[in-house]
Amino acid sequence: MLKFEKRENIPLHLRILIPLISILLGVLIGGIAVMFSQVNPLTVYKAIFIGAFGSTYVFSETIVVAIPLLLISVGLILVFKMNYWNIGAYGQYIMGAIFSTYFALNSAETISRPILLMVMCIAGMVGGALWALIPAALKAYWKVNEVIATLLLNYIALYILQFLMYGPWRNPRSFGFPLTKIFDLNAQLPKLISHTRIHLGLIFGIIAAIIIWIIIKKTKFGYEIRVIGENEIAARYAGINIAKNIILAMVISGGLAGLAGMAQISGIIHMLQIEINPDYGYTAIIVAWLSGLNSLTAMIVSFFLGGLFAGASQIQMTMKVPIGIVGLIESSILFFLLGGAILTNYKLNYKGRKII
Amino acid sequence: MGEIVLQAKNISKHFPGVLANDHINFDLRKGEIHTLLGENGAGKTTLMNILDGIYYPDEGEIYLNGKKVDIRSPFEATKNGIGMIHQHFMLVDTLTVLENVVLGLESQGFYLDKKNISEKIAEISKNYNLDINPYAKIWQLSVGEQQRVEIIKTLFRGVKILIMDEPTAVLTPQEADSLFKILRRMIKEDKSIIFISHKLDEVMKISDRITVLRKGKLVGTVDKKEINQKELAKMMVGREVLFRLDRNPIRRKGEVLKIEDLETHNDKGIKILKGVNFSIHGGEIFGLAGVSGNGQKELAEVIVGLRRAIAGKVYIKGEEVTNLCPKAITKEGTNYIPPDRLKVGLVPNLSTVENAILRRYDREPISRGIFLNYEEAAKYTRELIKQFNIMVPRENVPVKFLSGGNLQKLILAREIREEPALLIAVHPSRGLDVGATEFIRKKLLEERDQGVAILLISEDLEELLMISDRIGVIYEGEIVGMVDIDSANINEIGLMMAGVHKNPLLKGEENVKV
Repeated sequence: MLKFEKRENIPLHLRILIPLISILLGVLIGGIAVMFSQVNPLTVYKAIFIGAFGSTYVFSETIVVAIPLLLISVGLILVFKMNYWNIGAYGQYIMGAIFSTYFALNSAETISRPILLMVMCIAGMVGGALWALIPAALKAYWKVNEVIATLLLNYIALYILQFLMYGPWRNPRSFGFPLTKIFDLNAQLPKLISHTRIHLGLIFGIIAAIIIWIIIKKTKFGYEIRVIGENEIAARYAGINIAKNIILAMVISGGLAGLAGMAQISGIIHMLQIEINPDYGYTAIIVAWLSGLNSLTAMIVSFFLGGLFAGASQIQMTMKVPIGIVGLIESSILFFLLGGAILTNYKLNYKGRKII
Repeated sequence: MGEIVLQAKNISKHFPGVLANDHINFDLRKGEIHTLLGENGAGKTTLMNILDGIYYPDEGEIYLNGKKVDIRSPFEATKNGIGMIHQHFMLVDTLTVLENVVLGLESQGFYLDKKNISEKIAEISKNYNLDINPYAKIWQLSVGEQQRVEIIKTLFRGVKILIMDEPTAVLTPQEADSLFKILRRMIKEDKSIIFISHKLDEVMKISDRITVLRKGKLVGTVDKKEINQKELAKMMVGREVLFRLDRNPIRRKGEVLKIEDLETHNDKGIKILKGVNFSIHGGEIFGLAGVSGNGQKELAEVIVGLRRAIAGKVYIKGEEVTNLCPKAITKEGTNYIPPDRLKVGLVPNLSTVENAILRRYDREPISRGIFLNYEEAAKYTRELIKQFNIMVPRENVPVKFLSGGNLQKLILAREIREEPALLIAVHPSRGLDVGATEFIRKKLLEERDQGVAILLISEDLEELLMISDRIGVIYEGEIVGMVDIDSANINEIGLMMAGVHKNPLLKGEENVKV
């Protein structure tokens, strides 16, 4: 009989080996799928790697993808630590983009660039935070399940975006396409490195990761969050105000997702449109999880997943493999990574003998 | 005495970080009650789980009637005539006795022959004086009756060797006596019984032979007739044990806790406290006796603010605190040692330091603005560890790796250091070994002498009699009796716990001399 037993401590070599083997297995299964589309999987993987890390430009594109993943995932880590499952970063990201766009489109031209950008950042955070406040309050005061509440709010956010884009915010000169006008330079986040698309959002992400780490490890707020997450009954016993903590943590988490949305439209897309990559809100859940809910580790994980996505989108363009195959490679790698995580926390026995 | 029916040779079993059984030899004769005695963590339950096929030994052999057997599951154990009754009963509450008895039986076809089975159950029941109606639902039965259903289950399967894991832990003294009668009846029928316990008095009462384990090792097997309680305790603990704690005369101070007509619901929404009245003064230990599930857990939770009262009032030092939040009630000087250490009192995955500061992380000097001062926290923790002699491998190891006794010491240390006016302790020594139990009881007495009012809720009558100044008995959500320790009588209290005997004269507070 196969039996799982919880590990007391996780040996370092397993911490490194298990993810590596998981990635290899994911690559293997993804490769079998690639063979069905009559392409040599080795060429595909080589192309992904080169597409992610092979030149300064593609390397910078990897970082471009990592920015929103990092901003969102560190916020998620804060609430996940509390056992609050915010699946709504998708919607919070959209609301952040919408709120900041309002100021990008409606501010007087005389406002200086730093001030406008600051206003847009705050607007983005407020948008995401408000959207997160709804499920947080529902949970804190009426014990409404947060998974369902946050998930459903994602659809509402998407429909609000669609309404704005097909309605009041559509640029009359966009030939009927659902786009706003291109933002003025004053409303665009400055580039960090010229000839790339890496923008100021990278700094935001790194600062956010450090602040979240400090909150969790060093502050009373972080301590309360960990106590609630590990044992809610003990938290009540100690007199910790659970409702207050849920709301505060969700405001921060939603605010960071909103800031990610703002950074994406202000730093990359330079306008609001229907496709603004809110799916980062879901991928960031995986980032949070793979980084073991450590916001500093999340920097590395965001970078590698950023590479996987950037590389995959490259082969989509250069190698003429179907889009579905790209998604399949990505998801089989993620699948094995998450599955392998079980083995870092549990050991496996067969008929009383230790396997791993 | 009969021939050897079961023999375990050189049994060893490892768990991560512990050697639970270290080359243990054990044998059982036909028609005897053989007690397995030891402190918690001595390896008693592990050894029995090996005989029942739940664990498989790393080393060693098991012989049944001289033949070597390989038992890989409880199912195989039953086939070999071995049955085990666990501390937590394996019964389905919503099914009838009959349905529970046949559950998992191989011989049953698609159609359940209820008439035949119920006749067989009735016959077993009559033969052993078990007095169980086959058609009663489990949830309608008392704990003692549920235990008898477990016995019927094993007898129905033709078990010859019965293992009982601390069967008296959940029983009143009277229920335990009737269980012993049933066990004696069973050995007359040539069954053999292994009885697991750490209560010395009942071990002396029921056993033919006694095997003592300590820290996973065999200390020895002795004949009951050749040993006394004191020697047995020494074998079990490895040193002399105090059976009495010296108590200073009571110096009663002002009233600290007053409960008036208190009512509350349990988790299922059923009214479990039905108008409770009592009060406790500074410098006294008020012991509340009762069989588990009669409202004592809920009473403690209402007082500390973890459960809402639906009627009645709670006063602490004259201030009404009914239904205030836990933090406010703690501020009034109430501290709480909850019944479930790892579920309520501690955060298992956090470190000793992080658990030690649970009560004072938001006060200076551990609190520093929005930050936690971890140096101060560690300093404070080291103080607690030293003062209460808590064994901790390292301060940053998750507390779930501490032993039960050390966990309880940590909670006790943390709560006492808050210098409460009222200390509520629920099952403070449950599951602890003799040494830790003694330590906890001494500390409670010290606090009493310091003038703290203590509400001690326990199912262990000996403990209540040993350190309480006054004992109240709770039955079905009401205080059915109250006695002063000098006039307390264990039989009388036992009867009140079973709801048989009410003590109307002492009901309420008015009749207790202050």
